[in-house]
Amino acid sequence: MQSRKHLVLALSIGLCACAPVQPWERGNLAKPQMALDPHPLQSSLRGHNYGSREATAGGNAAQGGGCGCY
Amino acid sequence: MKDNKHNNIHQQKNKPGKSALESLNAAALILPGLLHSPAHAADYDEVDFQYSHYQEGRREIWVDQMFNLDGIYPAGSVVKAPNPLNPIEVESLHGSARVSLTDRVKFGFNYTQDTWGGATPIASAPVVTSAMHAFNLRGTDVLIGASPLAQAVSGKSYMDLNGNWYDIKYGGFDPIQGVELPNTPGVLSNRITHTLVSASPEIRQQGDFKLSYDWDEAAVNVGGGLSVENDYESRFGNLGLRLDFNQKRTSVNLGLSYTNSDTHATLDPYSFNFTLAGPYEAPDAQGNLLYAQQLGESIAHVYSYSPRTEGTLMIESTPSGSGRMIFDKATVTGNRQDWGTDLGLTQVLTKNAELELGLGYTHSTGYLSNPYKAVYGFDISVAPDQDLNVPLLVSGAAQIEARPNERNQITGNLGLHYYVEALDAGLHGRYKVFHDDWGITSHTFDADWVQPLGAGWSLTPNVRYYSQSAADFYAPFFTRVTVFDPNTGEEIASPLTKKMPDYYSSDQRLSGFGALSGGVTLNKQFAKGVQLQAGVEYYTHQGDLKIGGGGEQGFADYDYWTANAALKLNLGALRFKAGSADGSNIHHHAASHVLTPAGIMFNHALSHAGDMMVGYRYQRSEQAGEILHGSSPANADAIATQGCGQSECFMVPASMTMNMHMLDLMYASTDWLTLMLMPQWTDMAMTMDLIGSLNVGHHGGGGSQGIHAHQTGGIGDTGFYALFKLFEHPHHQVVLSLGGTAPTGAIDMKVRRNSRESYGNTPEETPLQYDMQLGSGTWDLKPSLTYSGAISDVAWGAQATGTKRLDRNSQHYALGDMFQGSVWGGYQLTNWLSTTVRGIYTWQDQIRGEFPARVYFDGTSTTYPETVEHLGPYSLTSNYGGRFVDLGLGVNVTVPSGTFAGNTIKFEWLQPLHTDYNGYQLDRDGALTATWGVEF
Repeated sequence: MQSRKHLVLALSIGLCACAPVQPWERGNLAKPQMALDPHPLQSSLRGHNYGSREATAGGNAAQGGGCGCY
Repeated sequence: MKDNKHNNIHQQKNKPGKSALESLNAAALILPGLLHSPAHAADYDEVDFQYSHYQEGRREIWVDQMFNLDGIYPAGSVVKAPNPLNPIEVESLHGSARVSLTDRVKFGFNYTQDTWGGATPIASAPVVTSAMHAFNLRGTDVLIGASPLAQAVSGKSYMDLNGNWYDIKYGGFDPIQGVELPNTPGVLSNRITHTLVSASPEIRQQGDFKLSYDWDEAAVNVGGGLSVENDYESRFGNLGLRLDFNQKRTSVNLGLSYTNSDTHATLDPYSFNFTLAGPYEAPDAQGNLLYAQQLGESIAHVYSYSPRTEGTLMIESTPSGSGRMIFDKATVTGNRQDWGTDLGLTQVLTKNAELELGLGYTHSTGYLSNPYKAVYGFDISVAPDQDLNVPLLVSGAAQIEARPNERNQITGNLGLHYYVEALDAGLHGRYKVFHDDWGITSHTFDADWVQPLGAGWSLTPNVRYYSQSAADFYAPFFTRVTVFDPNTGEEIASPLTKKMPDYYSSDQRLSGFGALSGGVTLNKQFAKGVQLQAGVEYYTHQGDLKIGGGGEQGFADYDYWTANAALKLNLGALRFKAGSADGSNIHHHAASHVLTPAGIMFNHALSHAGDMMVGYRYQRSEQAGEILHGSSPANADAIATQGCGQSECFMVPASMTMNMHMLDLMYASTDWLTLMLMPQWTDMAMTMDLIGSLNVGHHGGGGSQGIHAHQTGGIGDTGFYALFKLFEHPHHQVVLSLGGTAPTGAIDMKVRRNSRESYGNTPEETPLQYDMQLGSGTWDLKPSLTYSGAISDVAWGAQATGTKRLDRNSQHYALGDMFQGSVWGGYQLTNWLSTTVRGIYTWQDQIRGEFPARVYFDGTSTTYPETVEHLGPYSLTSNYGGRFVDLGLGVNVTVPSGTFAGNTIKFEWLQPLHTDYNGYQLDRDGALTATWGVEF
């Protein structure tokens, strides 16, 4: 819980302290290597492997994925 | 959902040779209200294919040698056993399409198919308890049969109250006194081992969709899907909302999801006599199966699995058939529901940095256990005045695990995405914390570095670290202490008394461990909107890697690697043939191709050097109904006595379906030569009926371990062809195709025997029949010659193709050679719709050679007749091939204009008209072919 407070703090600093980035300044962020998930096909595959091998499955419960009963 | 905005933007930029101006435009598209381009919609249109392979490492198995050649039971003989069981392997195939229905409405569809098989742990126990069932074969000291299994254990080991374990020192027979001497504790060994069970191949299929609507600064989406396995079915739906603020510097995502899943698991018959012996603390869940077996009832009992869970354990037991086959069935059925919600935020921090935050909550109820996992409970009984300093004799049994029927999980995640200007690279760092009310806390760290290399190439190394604490109710095994009154024999209350907890699991996924993985991904973007991607990853799970230590012992460590390859087509960026005015000649050939039935391949060579074509081809064939001998139905007696050669047939196939997914990749290297590559994936399912003296009724083959149903699937043989235009005329053309297939499909697919009685009670694996193997195993030549013609709205053609197997395969057989001749006509009804009709004659030879006689895993070359238990007409190589006549009826659709101009979708149904089989085979129902293709 302590860490979450720090996150909120960091976020508020992030929101206020930076000069607003104008739409025409976002060329770098629009590059393919800056996609939040640069390899979505692969990451869903790996996520499925992790989900069926680790106890942490939260957040992906409704993406299907089957039993993984092996 | 939260990535949609970014994906759209990035797909805009997903082309090589981008200029600063383009970047600027793309950035401006973040505000579609300000600058909305028609290309924006088109760029969403993408078709993806992905294949991946998952391969686990072999697990270490230890056993306590029970007896040696002389029948003497030695103490202190805990040894590492050779593990002949293939570890888990998974083959996955994924296809997806995303299309813009309008500028604002988008639709995405995914299809995923996994096939898995191999050996997996079901429980763990101290080695000295001999919970690991070891086999002594043929007087050798090899300790393992085909499948080491857990077993009920009593009087095989000792434990002291400090938790130390000792094996047994057998007293033996005293020839002087003429009496058996008492056993005593042997050597201390606390080593734990897994017990493994191998599983026959199984298939999972999943389809899901997402429909979204975009406003200028908001979006909603709704999605849903279905995942189906023999023993598990899951239905899910989700809703999402995205809101953009501050000129899209800030986006908030809200998601809600619901999943409803049913377990319908058939338990391993080998496990019955121990996994159902308990649990002791839940008397309503024990003993009923054995009781039912004694009574010979067909359905033993239906009752609540336990008051603690909502699952119901249903046990069916049928009377034994005579001879080798006994069909017992225990089914665990249960339902679970998962509600999930998440809140996400993305924030543009600077022109080079973006922050991502998320919170998630998932509430799960119902049957949350894994029906195939067992837990060992070991018992010690003591009297109040007993000397507790000496090791005590242990008994014990395994039982099905019991997890709580409720779970609440929260996650928090943080991502930082940073553009490294000096290297033009993207750095992505993510952290996720997870906690649930089962006592598990986990931390995940991962980082990607996406490095563009120029010319459309990029390389992405990534690393991930994961650590979790154990669930409160996890232990590798459990011990119980009962204190009893030595005079009355009754249990008495005592501080020493130790019972089984309410919930218990030995699933290593709930243990404390850490995992480290790393990999690399290579991407190549081609000019025409085609992208290729390949990645590998290595993953190691170790108790010692847990943060803060205290993870599970080394017995549970394992590793795996994965490899994946993907092909992505951006339909908006492809230069379609249809869109280029290339003259009438090409147009004619395209028309002739459009009027060809879906089932015809190798008829179409591309027009110009540099042209490409990508297609997808699906074929499904079905067999069901009666067993034919030649052309006429055979009766059961004839099949039983003559269908299997020298032996009596025990089974006949009841149904067989085969699905093939193929990618069709064509490239014109010169105007007259087109090269073609055809990777393919195959899956098959078969059900069988018993015949003859063993027919005790059909039990339905739905169970994952059922003897009546088999499944296989995976990568098939890969085709390589060269197409030559021999003759070209405005109305006629002749194409010669030379090439064949490489034996990339597996021919060692096996089924695990599951009846209780087989050789020496040893569970074994036997090869699946020839037509359930994924490939031919041989290099096959497949020449074909095609003539096609067209005048205005009418087209016609004829084709001859052959298959010649070169040599025999590694399993000592070769599938039959083939010849097929087709004649067809096609008629264009409208500018987008046409129909086809085709007549097909096929001849296929019987199989040459046969599977070698089976060899025991102990390497002593003791051989046995092949596939005795599953013996059916399909076991005999002369019951393959025949002569067939089919009628094909087809519909072809070509998109005349718009984003999808040039896309062709074709369907063809093959209706059997005449079947003349070699020997005894299952009648044919027909076959469907569906293709999609686009030329550019």
